[in-house]
Amino acid sequence: MTGSPRSTLCLKVVCVDPDDDSPPTDAAAALRLIQDQRSATARRLDPDARLLYWPWGVAWLVGFGLFFLRFPPGDRALVALPSWLPLTVLFVLLVAAGATQAVVSVRAYGQVTGDSARRGQWYGYAWALGSVSVYAGLGRISEHLPHDLAALLWSATAVGLTGALHMAGGAVWLDQDLFRLGVWISVINLVGAFAGPGWHPLVVAVAGGGGMLVAGALARRRQRQRQQP
Amino acid sequence: MTELDPVIHAQARLRVVASLSALNVGDKIAFPRLQELLAMTAGNLSVHLRKLEDAGYVEISKTHRGRTPATLVGLSRRGRLAFEEYTEAIRALLDPAPSKEQP
Repeated sequence: MTGSPRSTLCLKVVCVDPDDDSPPTDAAAALRLIQDQRSATARRLDPDARLLYWPWGVAWLVGFGLFFLRFPPGDRALVALPSWLPLTVLFVLLVAAGATQAVVSVRAYGQVTGDSARRGQWYGYAWALGSVSVYAGLGRISEHLPHDLAALLWSATAVGLTGALHMAGGAVWLDQDLFRLGVWISVINLVGAFAGPGWHPLVVAVAGGGGMLVAGALARRRQRQRQQP
Repeated sequence: MTELDPVIHAQARLRVVASLSALNVGDKIAFPRLQELLAMTAGNLSVHLRKLEDAGYVEISKTHRGRTPATLVGLSRRGRLAFEEYTEAIRALLDPAPSKEQP
């Protein structure tokens, strides 16, 4: 007696691992399974916080740093750089940071839809539309200002907008690292604006860029604690 | 002793529900991504998702992303509640409340 009709029928059934349906061996195994699975999923769906914070921190540190070296208070450059270099480097690094953020986010959240995706999308629109509307006004004014005041107006407004939007992001996601970074950026922007033209980029480079690097490290540490099984 | 929910109290479905519980409330994940997170075959995952859907624990919706059809999977409110109750029950088994009298 070989090849009963039952065994052929079995082949047509979708292959299900018979152990799959069995309960966990005991309560401890069940709890371990839950914790492992949740932390593994969180790890895969949460992008490394450093990849989101650090590229912006580097852009500010290097970009505004070069700007300070080329256009410090007074008339003489600290380092003889071509005058187009600082802003070019700043914009290239900012674009690179934006691209990194986009790639990292899509890889992590790309296959998740729903409320989180909508929050992210609307937050992105706030950045884009907010920037365009603010800078359009600045462009009209700054052409009538001397170079150093125009530079201060642009950078203080850009940094102020960044601080406000970081705080808003912290409120949207109840993310204290993001919110605190927003507060920090707003405060150092105030300090830089009072220090005046020439000094503002130094404050933004060191305290702003450095603050983002620190915030990224803190956010990563919190993330690791959260993801531990 | 409380009865453990038989729908969740099976290794494969417990893994599915635990994974989905890590999503934020109101979020859904694409079927292939869930399959990749769980390292299950598509057929196997479908079978377990159907059982979870029948119990009302999982919501499955089919949409289109551009021209390709996409299946999205998320925990329903009932499913999230059932998972929380299951986890509570497991914790209670491991660490019985000290106020309970020993037999």
